[in-house]
Amino acid sequence: MGTLTSGGNSNNNPGTPAKDPLAGKRFKKQGFWRTALQQRYLYLMSLPFVIWAFIFSYLPLWGWTMAFQDFKPAKGFFEQKWVGFEHFVELFSDDRFYLALRNTLAMSVMGLVVGFMIPIIFAILLNELRGMMFKRFVQTVSYLPHFVSWVVVAGLVTKMLSTQGGAINDLLVGLHIINEPIQFMAKGEWFWYIVTASDVWKEMGWNTIIYLAAITGIDPELYEASRVDGASRYRQMWHITLPGIRTTISVLFIMQIGHLLQIGFEKQFLLGNNLVLEYSQVLELYALQYGLQMGRFSYGTAISIFNSVVSVILLFTVNGIFKKVSKESIM
Amino acid sequence: MVSKKAKWVAPVALASIVGLTACGGGSGESSSAAADVESGPIEFSMFSADSNSNWVGMKDKVGAAITEKTGVTLAAEYAIGGDTQKVSLMVASGEYPDLIMPKGDTSKLVEAGALVDLTDLIENYAPNIKKMYADDMNRLKYSKEDQSIYIIPTYTGVGQTSFDAGGGFELQLEVLKELGYPEIRTLDDYEKAIKEYYAKNPTINGQPTIPLTLNADDWKIMIGVTNPAFQATGLPDNGEFYINPETYESQLHYKRPEEKEYFRWLNKMYNEGLLDKETFTQKSDQYLAKISSGRVLGTINQEWDYSEAENALKGSSDATTQNRIFGHFPVTLSEEYKDHSFMDVGFPGGYGIGLTTNLSEAEQIRAIKFLDWLASDEGQVLVQWGIEGEHYNVEDGKRVIPQEIQDRKTNDNVAFTKETGIGMYTTMSPHYGDGVQDATGNYYTTNFPEQIQNAYTQPEKDALKEYGATTWKDLFPAADELGTSAWGAAYNLPAPTDSAYTVAFQKSQDIVRKRIPEAILAPAAQFDGIYDGMIEELNSADIVEMEKIFTQQIKDTVELWGTGK
Repeated sequence: MGTLTSGGNSNNNPGTPAKDPLAGKRFKKQGFWRTALQQRYLYLMSLPFVIWAFIFSYLPLWGWTMAFQDFKPAKGFFEQKWVGFEHFVELFSDDRFYLALRNTLAMSVMGLVVGFMIPIIFAILLNELRGMMFKRFVQTVSYLPHFVSWVVVAGLVTKMLSTQGGAINDLLVGLHIINEPIQFMAKGEWFWYIVTASDVWKEMGWNTIIYLAAITGIDPELYEASRVDGASRYRQMWHITLPGIRTTISVLFIMQIGHLLQIGFEKQFLLGNNLVLEYSQVLELYALQYGLQMGRFSYGTAISIFNSVVSVILLFTVNGIFKKVSKESIM
Repeated sequence: MVSKKAKWVAPVALASIVGLTACGGGSGESSSAAADVESGPIEFSMFSADSNSNWVGMKDKVGAAITEKTGVTLAAEYAIGGDTQKVSLMVASGEYPDLIMPKGDTSKLVEAGALVDLTDLIENYAPNIKKMYADDMNRLKYSKEDQSIYIIPTYTGVGQTSFDAGGGFELQLEVLKELGYPEIRTLDDYEKAIKEYYAKNPTINGQPTIPLTLNADDWKIMIGVTNPAFQATGLPDNGEFYINPETYESQLHYKRPEEKEYFRWLNKMYNEGLLDKETFTQKSDQYLAKISSGRVLGTINQEWDYSEAENALKGSSDATTQNRIFGHFPVTLSEEYKDHSFMDVGFPGGYGIGLTTNLSEAEQIRAIKFLDWLASDEGQVLVQWGIEGEHYNVEDGKRVIPQEIQDRKTNDNVAFTKETGIGMYTTMSPHYGDGVQDATGNYYTTNFPEQIQNAYTQPEKDALKEYGATTWKDLFPAADELGTSAWGAAYNLPAPTDSAYTVAFQKSQDIVRKRIPEAILAPAAQFDGIYDGMIEELNSADIVEMEKIFTQQIKDTVELWGTGK
C-alpha cells in the first residue's frame, strides 16, 4: 500500500512521466473513489458503526484534558486551572495504586490462564459427546450461571464457604480432611483464587459457545479422512479440532489481553470484605473510591488514562507477537 | 484466505454486538415545568441519597393528600444502598434534579454551584419554616466563609427529645429472663450474662447458639464495631473523631487508649469463642438472617439496622421465640464511664433537603412554598399521623391512633407504609421532633411516651417492668448528667472538601477497617502489636494534617453558631 507514495525520491528525472509525483497521487485517488463507488453499499452499511465508534469512543477522549487540570465542574473549559502532570505524579507516588495494580494484574492473569483454557477444553470435550440430548443438556446447564448477577453469585459463594453450615466446610470436615471449619473469606491470600474459581464457574459455559460454533465450522471430511488413516480420537482432537479453532483462539486471546486491566470490580466489590482489602482492591475500585466518590474527577481521569494507555500497549505488543509467530492477528 | 478471515469475523461481530447491547439504555428524563408555575399542578424531580424501597410515586394516601393540597407531585429517585457516586455523577454531568437530599455530599454540590441560597426565599415565602428554625437559623448556614443556607435540615426534628433508646448494647430478652434480670451496666456484666446463658443453652431450636455477633459489612463496620468503642468509653457520637471539648483539638477516636481496651475485650470474646467467627466476613443479609433465627444472644448495633430481622420474631406464635428480641443497655467499659447517647447536642442541623439551580426563580418560590406547607401544622400532622378519621381519631381534643392501625404499624410495617405513606415524607419535610406539642396540646410526632409504650410488644413490656422502667431510655443516663456540645454532632457537619482532607480520611478509614478486624481476630498475645501498628500508621503526616483541618472546621462551626465559650 505504501509503495505508491509520492515525492520520496527527489533525484528522479523530472522528465519521466511514470515517476511524476502528481501522477501517482491521481492514480491513488482514482483508485479509492472507484472502489468506494463499487462498494458503496458496504460503505453505507458500515457508516453507522463508524459514527457510533466516533461518538462513543473518540469524542469522550476530549475529557482526557481533565487529567491535566484541577477540574471544577462548575467552571467552563477555559476557566479551569491547568496543572500539567501533577495528578499523574500523585498517582505514581501512591502505594495504594501499586497495590491495586498488583491485585488487578494478579486476578486478571489468573483469570486469563484458567478462564481461557478451561472453556477450550470444555468445548472440545463437549464436541466429542455423542448423545445429542445429553450434550445440549450439559451445555445449557453450564452456561446458565452466566445470566445470574454477581450479587447473587457472591451470596452463593459466601454461603458455600461459610463456617456455619457452608457446604465446602461441611464436606471437608465430614471427610476428616480438616478438623475445624476454615474461614475462607477471611484469608486475604485466598481471595484471588476464590474470585478466579467463581468466575470460571460463572462464565465457563458461556465462553464455550464461541468455540463450539467455531468447531462446527470445521470440514467433517477432515475427520473422515483422519479416521480412514487410523487416527484415534485424541489424535483427531489434537490435529484437527484444535488447529481448526486456532484462529478463533488467537483472536479472542488478543482481545482479552487488551482488557487485562479492565476486569471490572463487581466480583471484588461483592466478594471482598474489610479483612481482605489488601487483596481485593482493584484499579477500578481505586478509581471509584479515590476519584469519583471524592469528587476528584481529574484524578479519576488520570487513572483511566493510565488504564487505556497500558491496554493499548498490551494489545499492540501481543498483536505484533502473534503476527510474527503465527501470522494471525486482528489488525 | 477468505475462509480464514470469515472464521474470525464471526467472533468479532458477536463480541461487538454484545458490546452494543450493553451500552443501550440510558436516561433522558427531565422535569418540564408546567405552564402555571405559581399555583397549577406541578411536578418536581427529587433525588435522595438514602434508599427507600417503599416509595410508590406518591400514590399512597398521604402522598395523594399532599398533592391535593399543594398541587405538587414528586418524581423521586432514591439511591440504592450506600450509593455515594450518584451525586458525584450529577456534578460531573451538570444535570440535577429539582430537589435534592444529598446527605454527606452537600459540599460537592455547593462547590459546583448547584444549590440555591435559600436565605431570602425562606425570609419572604416560608413563614412556617422561619418560625420553626427561629433560634437555630445560624446553624443552617453553610460555613464561616459562605454563610448561605443551602440545606434545610430535615433529617432531624427541631426540639427533638428522644423517648426511646435504639442503640447501646443489645441483649436477648430470653437471656435476661432466664438469668433473673441481672443488672447490665459494664462489659463484664454483659459478658457474664452471655456466657452463663450460652453454657446452659449451647443450641437454640436445634441449631448452635451464637453468643455475640456484629454487623461489620462495608460501612456498617462503623455502626457495629468502631462506634461502640467510643460509646463504651463515655463519648458522644462525633463520627470518626474525638473532639476535645475545651480546645476543639480533634483526633481519630480510635487513638484513645481507652478504646484499645474495648477492642481488647472483643479480642478476648473472639478467642473465647463467644464472638461469632463470621463477624467480619458476613454480609448484612447473613447477619440479619442469624438474628431472625433467634439464635443470637447479643449484638452491638443500632435498632434501625436490625429491626427488620426482629419483625419475624415478633410475629411468631411461640412465646419463647417472641422473647428472642433485644433490649438496649448503656454498657460501658467500667463504671467510671457514662453512655453519652442522650447528650443534648442542641439542634444538630446537618442532612436535609435543598433546591438546585435547575429551578427557575418562579419554580424556586413554588418549591419553597411546598416545603413550607409541609412545615405547617396541617402538613406535619398529615405527614406524621396520616389522615384524620382513617389513621387517627380526635377524641376529647386528643389525637389517638386506633388499636388496629397501631397493630398494623408494629407488625406489618412495610405494607402499611407503602399503603399509607405515613413516616415516608418525614425526612423530606422540615418538622418538629418528638416531644414538641402543637397549639392544641398534641404532640406533632407519634413518638411520645404513651405511644412508645403502646408500640412495645408484650415481652418488652414485661422485661422493662422487671427493671422498673417504662422505656429502654430510662436505663440510660439522662441528658442533664451529660453536659452539652458546642458544635452539635460532628458526624452531621458538612465534611471539608479539601483533597488533603478527603484523601487522608479515606486512607485512615482503609487502615482502620482492615487493622481493627485483624487485631480482634488475632491471638491475644498479638493484639497489642497489631493495634499499636495501626496507631503508628494513623500517625502518618497526612492523617495528622487531616485532623488539623477537622479541628479548624470545628472551630469555625463554633464561631459561626456563636456557641463558643
